[in-house]
Amino acid sequence: MRYLLVDRVTAVESGRAIEGVKNVAMSEDFLEFHFPKNPIMPGIMLLEALVQLTGWLEAVSSDFKKWFLVSRVLKCSFYGFVIPGDRVELSVGCARAPSKDLSVYTGIAKVNGKRRLKAEYQGNLVDLETIEEVEEQKRFFEILKRGV
Amino acid sequence: MRLLFYDRISDLVVGESIRGTKTFCLSEEYFRKHFSRRPLVPGVIFIEAMAQLLGWLVIRSHDFRLSAVMSLIEDVKMPPDLRPGFSAEISGRLISTSKSDSLGSAKMSVDGVEIASIGRIIYVHSRAGDPAGLRALFGYYGGADWME
Repeated sequence: MRYLLVDRVTAVESGRAIEGVKNVAMSEDFLEFHFPKNPIMPGIMLLEALVQLTGWLEAVSSDFKKWFLVSRVLKCSFYGFVIPGDRVELSVGCARAPSKDLSVYTGIAKVNGKRRLKAEYQGNLVDLETIEEVEEQKRFFEILKRGV
Repeated sequence: MRLLFYDRISDLVVGESIRGTKTFCLSEEYFRKHFSRRPLVPGVIFIEAMAQLLGWLVIRSHDFRLSAVMSLIEDVKMPPDLRPGFSAEISGRLISTSKSDSLGSAKMSVDGVEIASIGRIIYVHSRAGDPAGLRALFGYYGGADWME
Protein backbone atom coordinates (compact mmCIF):
# COMPACT_ATOMS: atom_id res chain seq x y z
CA MET A 1 0.00 0.00 0.00
CA ARG A 2 1.11 3.51 -0.77
CA TYR A 3 0.45 5.42 2.43
CA LEU A 4 -1.44 8.23 0.68
CA LEU A 5 -4.79 9.01 2.27
CA VAL A 6 -5.73 12.10 0.22
CA ASP A 7 -6.92 11.60 -3.37
CA ARG A 8 -7.59 15.21 -4.32
CA VAL A 9 -7.12 18.73 -2.95
CA THR A 10 -10.16 20.80 -3.85
CA ALA A 11 -9.42 24.16 -2.19
CA VAL A 12 -6.61 25.78 -0.26
CA GLU A 13 -6.25 29.12 1.50
CA SER A 14 -2.61 29.66 2.42
CA GLY A 15 -2.00 29.70 6.16
CA ARG A 16 -5.64 29.16 7.03
CA ALA A 17 -7.54 26.22 5.55
CA ILE A 18 -7.58 23.37 3.05
CA GLU A 19 -10.16 20.95 1.65
CA GLY A 20 -9.77 17.60 -0.03
CA VAL A 21 -11.30 14.25 -0.85
CA LYS A 22 -10.62 10.63 0.10
CA ASN A 23 -12.48 7.94 -1.83
CA VAL A 24 -12.84 4.62 -0.03
CA ALA A 25 -12.55 1.54 -2.25
CA MET A 26 -13.30 -2.09 -1.41
CA SER A 27 -9.78 -2.82 -2.63
CA GLU A 28 -8.16 -0.91 0.26
CA ASP A 29 -6.00 -3.46 1.98
CA PHE A 30 -6.69 -2.15 5.49
CA LEU A 31 -10.29 -3.35 5.11
CA GLU A 32 -9.15 -6.98 5.22
CA PHE A 33 -8.60 -6.76 8.96
CA HIS A 34 -10.94 -3.90 9.78
CA PHE A 35 -13.03 -5.84 10.15
CA PRO A 36 -13.19 -9.42 8.91
CA LYS A 37 -16.62 -9.85 7.26
CA ASN A 38 -17.46 -6.20 8.02
CA PRO A 39 -15.28 -3.72 6.10
CA ILE A 40 -15.27 -0.27 7.74
CA MET A 41 -12.66 2.40 7.14
CA PRO A 42 -10.57 2.65 10.32
CA GLY A 43 -11.22 5.93 12.11
CA ILE A 44 -7.52 6.35 12.56
CA MET A 45 -7.01 6.27 8.77
CA LEU A 46 -9.53 9.11 8.47
CA LEU A 47 -7.49 11.00 11.05
CA GLU A 48 -4.36 10.26 9.00
CA ALA A 49 -6.09 11.69 5.92
CA LEU A 50 -6.68 14.93 7.83
CA VAL A 51 -3.09 14.95 9.10
CA GLN A 52 -1.76 14.49 5.55
CA LEU A 53 -4.04 17.26 4.30
CA THR A 54 -2.57 19.44 7.06
CA GLY A 55 0.87 18.58 5.68
CA TRP A 56 -0.20 19.91 2.29
CA LEU A 57 -1.61 23.08 3.91
CA GLU A 58 1.68 23.77 5.67
CA ALA A 59 3.68 22.95 2.53
CA VAL A 60 1.67 25.38 0.40
CA SER A 61 1.78 28.03 3.15
CA SER A 62 5.59 27.87 3.32
CA ASP A 63 6.40 27.55 -0.40
CA PHE A 64 7.15 23.87 0.23
CA LYS A 65 9.69 24.49 2.95
CA LYS A 66 7.68 22.88 5.78
CA TRP A 67 5.64 19.76 6.49
CA PHE A 68 3.38 18.89 9.40
CA LEU A 69 3.84 15.94 11.76
CA VAL A 70 1.16 15.27 14.37
CA SER A 71 2.30 14.93 17.98
CA ARG A 72 -0.84 15.53 20.00
CA VAL A 73 -4.54 14.88 19.55
CA LEU A 74 -6.53 17.00 21.96
CA LYS A 75 -9.81 15.35 21.04
CA CYS A 76 -11.11 13.15 18.25
CA SER A 77 -14.73 12.06 17.99
CA PHE A 78 -15.90 9.31 15.65
CA TYR A 79 -19.56 9.82 14.74
CA GLY A 80 -20.33 7.07 12.29
CA PHE A 81 -18.91 4.48 9.97
CA VAL A 82 -17.26 5.19 6.64
CA ILE A 83 -17.70 2.25 4.30
CA PRO A 84 -16.43 1.18 0.87
CA GLY A 85 -17.96 3.35 -1.85
CA ASP A 86 -18.02 6.47 0.31
CA ARG A 87 -16.51 9.75 -0.89
CA VAL A 88 -15.14 11.46 2.20
CA GLU A 89 -15.01 15.26 2.17
CA LEU A 90 -12.09 16.47 4.26
CA SER A 91 -11.52 19.96 5.63
CA VAL A 92 -8.85 21.38 7.91
CA GLY A 93 -8.70 24.80 9.50
CA CYS A 94 -5.76 26.29 11.34
CA ALA A 95 -5.83 28.60 14.35
CA ARG A 96 -2.36 30.13 14.64
CA ALA A 97 -0.94 30.33 18.14
CA PRO A 98 1.62 32.96 19.23
CA SER A 99 4.30 30.38 18.48
CA LYS A 100 3.78 28.96 14.99
CA ASP A 101 4.75 25.48 16.08
CA LEU A 102 1.85 25.34 18.50
CA SER A 103 -0.97 25.94 16.03
CA VAL A 104 -4.20 24.10 16.73
CA TYR A 105 -5.84 22.41 13.75
CA THR A 106 -9.46 21.39 13.45
CA GLY A 107 -10.19 18.65 10.97
CA ILE A 108 -13.60 17.39 9.87
CA ALA A 109 -14.49 14.41 7.68
CA LYS A 110 -17.98 14.20 6.15
CA VAL A 111 -19.83 11.79 3.87
CA ASN A 112 -22.78 13.24 1.93
CA GLY A 113 -22.60 16.29 4.19
CA LYS A 114 -22.91 14.23 7.37
CA ARG A 115 -20.10 14.44 9.89
CA ARG A 116 -18.14 11.23 10.48
CA LEU A 117 -15.13 12.53 12.39
CA LYS A 118 -14.00 15.71 14.07
CA ALA A 119 -10.52 16.18 15.51
CA GLU A 120 -8.48 18.88 17.19
CA TYR A 121 -4.75 18.30 17.05
CA GLN A 122 -1.30 19.86 17.21
CA GLY A 123 2.10 18.98 15.89
CA ASN A 124 5.53 19.99 14.70
CA LEU A 125 6.55 21.79 11.54
CA VAL A 126 9.64 20.12 10.09
CA ASP A 127 11.81 21.09 7.14
CA LEU A 128 10.27 19.34 4.15
CA GLU A 129 13.64 18.81 2.47
CA THR A 130 14.75 16.61 5.37
CA ILE A 131 11.97 14.07 4.77
CA GLU A 132 10.93 14.37 1.10
CA GLU A 133 12.24 15.38 -2.31
CA VAL A 134 10.85 18.92 -2.51
CA GLU A 135 10.49 19.10 -6.29
CA GLU A 136 8.78 15.70 -6.35
CA GLN A 137 6.40 16.90 -3.63
CA LYS A 138 5.55 20.02 -5.66
CA ARG A 139 4.80 17.88 -8.71
CA PHE A 140 2.60 15.58 -6.68
CA PHE A 141 0.64 18.53 -5.33
CA GLU A 142 -0.20 19.52 -8.91
CA ILE A 143 -1.47 15.97 -9.47
CA LEU A 144 -3.67 16.24 -6.38
CA LYS A 145 -5.28 19.40 -7.80
CA ARG A 146 -6.17 17.83 -11.16
CA GLY A 147 -9.86 17.76 -11.99
CA VAL A 148 -10.77 20.70 -9.76
CA MET B 1 -0.96 -3.66 4.75
CA ARG B 2 -2.29 -5.89 7.48
CA LEU B 3 -3.95 -3.48 9.88
CA LEU B 4 -2.68 -5.27 12.99
CA PHE B 5 -0.53 -3.01 15.11
CA TYR B 6 0.49 -5.22 17.98
CA ASP B 7 2.55 -8.38 17.69
CA ARG B 8 1.89 -10.20 20.92
CA ILE B 9 -0.26 -10.11 24.04
CA SER B 10 1.89 -10.78 27.11
CA ASP B 11 -0.58 -10.33 29.95
CA LEU B 12 -4.33 -9.95 30.34
CA VAL B 13 -6.50 -9.53 33.42
CA VAL B 14 -10.18 -9.76 32.49
CA GLY B 15 -12.03 -6.51 33.20
CA GLU B 16 -8.86 -4.74 34.27
CA SER B 17 -5.72 -4.57 32.14
CA ILE B 18 -3.77 -5.83 29.15
CA ARG B 19 -0.14 -5.69 28.04
CA GLY B 20 1.47 -6.43 24.72
CA THR B 21 4.31 -5.56 22.38
CA LYS B 22 4.66 -3.94 18.99
CA THR B 23 7.89 -4.01 17.02
CA PHE B 24 8.41 -1.31 14.42
CA CYS B 25 10.53 -2.43 11.48
CA LEU B 26 11.49 -0.83 8.19
CA SER B 27 9.49 -3.41 6.22
CA GLU B 28 6.16 -1.91 7.38
CA GLU B 29 4.08 -0.92 4.34
CA TYR B 30 3.41 2.62 5.49
CA PHE B 31 7.06 3.60 5.15
CA ARG B 32 6.66 3.54 1.35
CA LYS B 33 5.42 7.13 1.45
CA HIS B 34 6.15 8.21 5.01
CA PHE B 35 8.62 9.50 3.96
CA SER B 36 10.83 9.14 0.89
CA ARG B 37 14.00 10.57 2.43
CA ARG B 38 13.42 9.56 6.03
CA PRO B 39 11.22 6.76 7.39
CA LEU B 40 9.11 8.04 10.30
CA VAL B 41 6.40 6.08 12.08
CA PRO B 42 3.08 7.87 11.41
CA GLY B 43 1.69 9.24 14.67
CA VAL B 44 -1.74 7.68 14.19
CA ILE B 45 -0.20 4.19 14.17
CA PHE B 46 0.61 4.58 17.86
CA ILE B 47 -3.05 5.38 18.53
CA GLU B 48 -4.25 2.35 16.57
CA ALA B 49 -1.78 0.05 18.35
CA MET B 50 -3.04 1.10 21.78
CA ALA B 51 -6.69 1.07 20.68
CA GLN B 52 -6.49 -2.41 19.14
CA LEU B 53 -4.95 -3.98 22.22
CA LEU B 54 -7.37 -2.34 24.64
CA GLY B 55 -10.24 -3.24 22.32
CA TRP B 56 -9.39 -6.92 22.69
CA LEU B 57 -9.45 -6.54 26.47
CA VAL B 58 -12.99 -5.15 26.20
CA ILE B 59 -14.10 -8.01 23.95
CA ARG B 60 -12.40 -10.70 26.05
CA SER B 61 -13.85 -9.18 29.24
CA HIS B 62 -17.34 -9.65 27.79
CA ASP B 63 -16.54 -13.21 26.72
CA PHE B 64 -16.61 -12.37 22.98
CA ARG B 65 -20.33 -11.53 23.05
CA LEU B 66 -19.78 -8.01 21.74
CA SER B 67 -17.69 -5.95 19.36
CA ALA B 68 -16.05 -2.69 20.43
CA VAL B 69 -15.53 0.32 18.17
CA MET B 70 -13.62 3.42 19.18
CA SER B 71 -15.90 6.47 19.47
CA LEU B 72 -13.74 9.07 21.27
CA ILE B 73 -10.11 9.69 22.15
CA GLU B 74 -8.78 12.57 24.23
CA ASP B 75 -5.44 13.81 25.50
CA VAL B 76 -3.34 11.74 23.08
CA LYS B 77 0.42 12.19 22.84
CA MET B 78 2.72 10.53 20.34
CA PRO B 79 6.25 10.99 19.03
CA PRO B 80 6.26 12.76 15.63
CA ASP B 81 9.72 11.69 14.47
CA LEU B 82 10.65 8.13 15.47
CA ARG B 83 12.51 5.97 12.98
CA PRO B 84 11.80 2.22 12.91
CA GLY B 85 13.98 -0.29 14.72
CA PHE B 86 12.47 -0.45 18.18
CA SER B 87 10.08 -2.55 20.20
CA ALA B 88 7.41 -0.84 22.27
CA GLU B 89 5.47 -2.21 25.21
CA ILE B 90 1.79 -1.34 25.17
CA SER B 91 -0.31 -1.34 28.31
CA GLY B 92 -3.97 -0.54 28.61
CA ARG B 93 -6.44 -0.50 31.45
CA LEU B 94 -10.19 -0.43 31.69
CA ILE B 95 -11.60 2.29 33.92
CA SER B 96 -15.19 1.13 33.48
CA THR B 97 -17.14 -1.18 31.23
CA SER B 98 -20.84 -1.96 30.77
CA LYS B 99 -22.98 -3.73 28.19
CA SER B 100 -23.14 -0.57 26.07
CA ASP B 101 -19.70 1.05 26.33
CA SER B 102 -16.23 1.04 27.88
CA LEU B 103 -13.82 3.71 29.10
CA GLY B 104 -10.09 3.20 29.35
CA SER B 105 -6.60 4.58 28.95
CA ALA B 106 -3.37 3.28 27.43
CA LYS B 107 0.30 4.02 26.99
CA MET B 108 3.36 2.82 25.08
CA SER B 109 6.92 2.74 26.31
CA VAL B 110 10.35 1.84 24.96
CA ASP B 111 13.00 0.61 27.42
CA GLY B 112 10.83 1.87 30.26
CA VAL B 113 10.44 5.37 28.81
CA GLU B 114 6.89 6.43 27.90
CA ILE B 115 6.63 7.51 24.24
CA ALA B 116 2.87 7.69 23.64
CA SER B 117 -0.36 7.74 25.60
CA ILE B 118 -4.13 8.02 25.32
CA GLY B 119 -5.57 9.79 28.35
CA ARG B 120 -9.12 8.72 27.65
CA ILE B 121 -10.64 6.34 25.12
CA ILE B 122 -14.29 5.34 24.79
CA TYR B 123 -15.57 2.31 22.89
CA VAL B 124 -19.18 1.74 21.97
CA HIS B 125 -20.32 -1.86 21.91
CA SER B 126 -22.47 -3.80 19.51
CA ARG B 127 -23.64 -7.38 19.74
CA ALA B 128 -21.16 -9.75 18.16
CA GLY B 129 -22.71 -11.61 15.25
CA ASP B 130 -20.26 -14.49 15.55
CA PRO B 131 -18.79 -14.90 19.07
CA ALA B 132 -17.08 -18.19 18.13
CA GLY B 133 -15.41 -16.51 15.15
CA LEU B 134 -14.32 -13.61 17.34
CA ARG B 135 -12.82 -16.04 19.87
CA ALA B 136 -10.92 -17.78 17.08
CA LEU B 137 -9.56 -14.45 15.78
CA PHE B 138 -8.41 -13.56 19.26
CA GLY B 139 -6.58 -16.86 19.50
CA TYR B 140 -4.79 -16.16 16.23
CA TYR B 141 -4.08 -12.46 16.85
CA GLY B 142 -3.18 -12.64 20.52
CA GLY B 143 -1.97 -16.17 21.18
CA ALA B 144 -3.84 -19.09 22.68
CA ASP B 145 -2.50 -18.44 26.20
CA TRP B 146 -5.19 -15.86 26.85
CA MET B 147 -8.19 -17.79 25.57
CA GLU B 148 -9.41 -18.91 28.98
